[in-house]
Amino acid sequence: MAFQPSKSKKNLSKESGTLNMNSMMDMMTIILLFLLKSFSTEGALVTPSEQLRLPESIQGEKPKKELSVSITRDVIMVNDIIVATEADIDEDNLMIEPLRQRLAEYARKEVELQNTVGKEFTHVVNIQGDEQIHFDVLFKVMFTCSKSDFYKMRLLTIKSGA
Amino acid sequence: MAYKPSLRRKSDELDMELDIRPVMNLMVVLIPLLIASAEWVRLGSIEINVPPSKDAGIGSDESQAQAEEREKEKRLGLSIAITDLGITIAGPGAILSGTDNPEGPTVPISADGEYDYQLMKEKLIEIKKAIQGKGFKDENRALITASADIAYKVIIKVMDELQVFETDEEILPLFPEVNFSKII
Repeated sequence: MAFQPSKSKKNLSKESGTLNMNSMMDMMTIILLFLLKSFSTEGALVTPSEQLRLPESIQGEKPKKELSVSITRDVIMVNDIIVATEADIDEDNLMIEPLRQRLAEYARKEVELQNTVGKEFTHVVNIQGDEQIHFDVLFKVMFTCSKSDFYKMRLLTIKSGA
Repeated sequence: MAYKPSLRRKSDELDMELDIRPVMNLMVVLIPLLIASAEWVRLGSIEINVPPSKDAGIGSDESQAQAEEREKEKRLGLSIAITDLGITIAGPGAILSGTDNPEGPTVPISADGEYDYQLMKEKLIEIKKAIQGKGFKDENRALITASADIAYKVIIKVMDELQVFETDEEILPLFPEVNFSKII
């Protein structure tokens, strides 16, 4: 036996309605504008980690992508490749030899690029230091940089709101 | 003669909604893309002038002449030394002594081990006001030096304080050009 047709559904008319998307569009537009404002085309300059926490500062310009020397709590890196460890830092000597060699290599490449394709050698190096590192390490790194043709040094910091 | 009423009045109002679905699709694609490439942490970079003593090392004739010329210029030579006892402000011939202890640093460290940046800034503003307009070539320059075990963030903090000071009407540079000197 067939089922008896539902009486309550017999008079149901299809309710038609459209979703009002105006408010959602408004929201999306605002988010879009906000994101466009904070858009950066250069990609990440630093990879923060437990070992490398940049200090906060109120000053500073917007950084450009340059050769980077990172000083973490244990190691020194050039363009994210480890070149020296704590043991390489000589107590009495201001020069950090492995770092100097690596920087000299980069300097030579840059000079070569300048001579062959005309890319200007800016002599700029971005120094990213952990906020806990001591002044002697920083000073030795800066000394080494200035002695290996990267004499325009920039210290990278995190901009605090104030 | 009156004009004949327009027949157009009777035309139905056009009832049509804008199709915003393509725009929505675009948004849905664009927003994740922009989130992925957004800068969440704002970085700053502080330019450092190379310590002048390092480059003046090579004794060619020209640099000697330059050095002589430099000798004639009126120089302030302000230096700020950070040790674990506090911050000392000094000039070429004199050290600014502390208020409580004439032998100790200008700005001694506070009881809980913090540096008194505010007091240091006040002292520096005093110096700045005293030397302003007296023709010092390096009136914006300060030499920072520190003990070997001073943390990087302390140095950055001191450099922050060296940037500007406010008078009643305007904001003026304090000693924004920073050099570093050897470890003490």
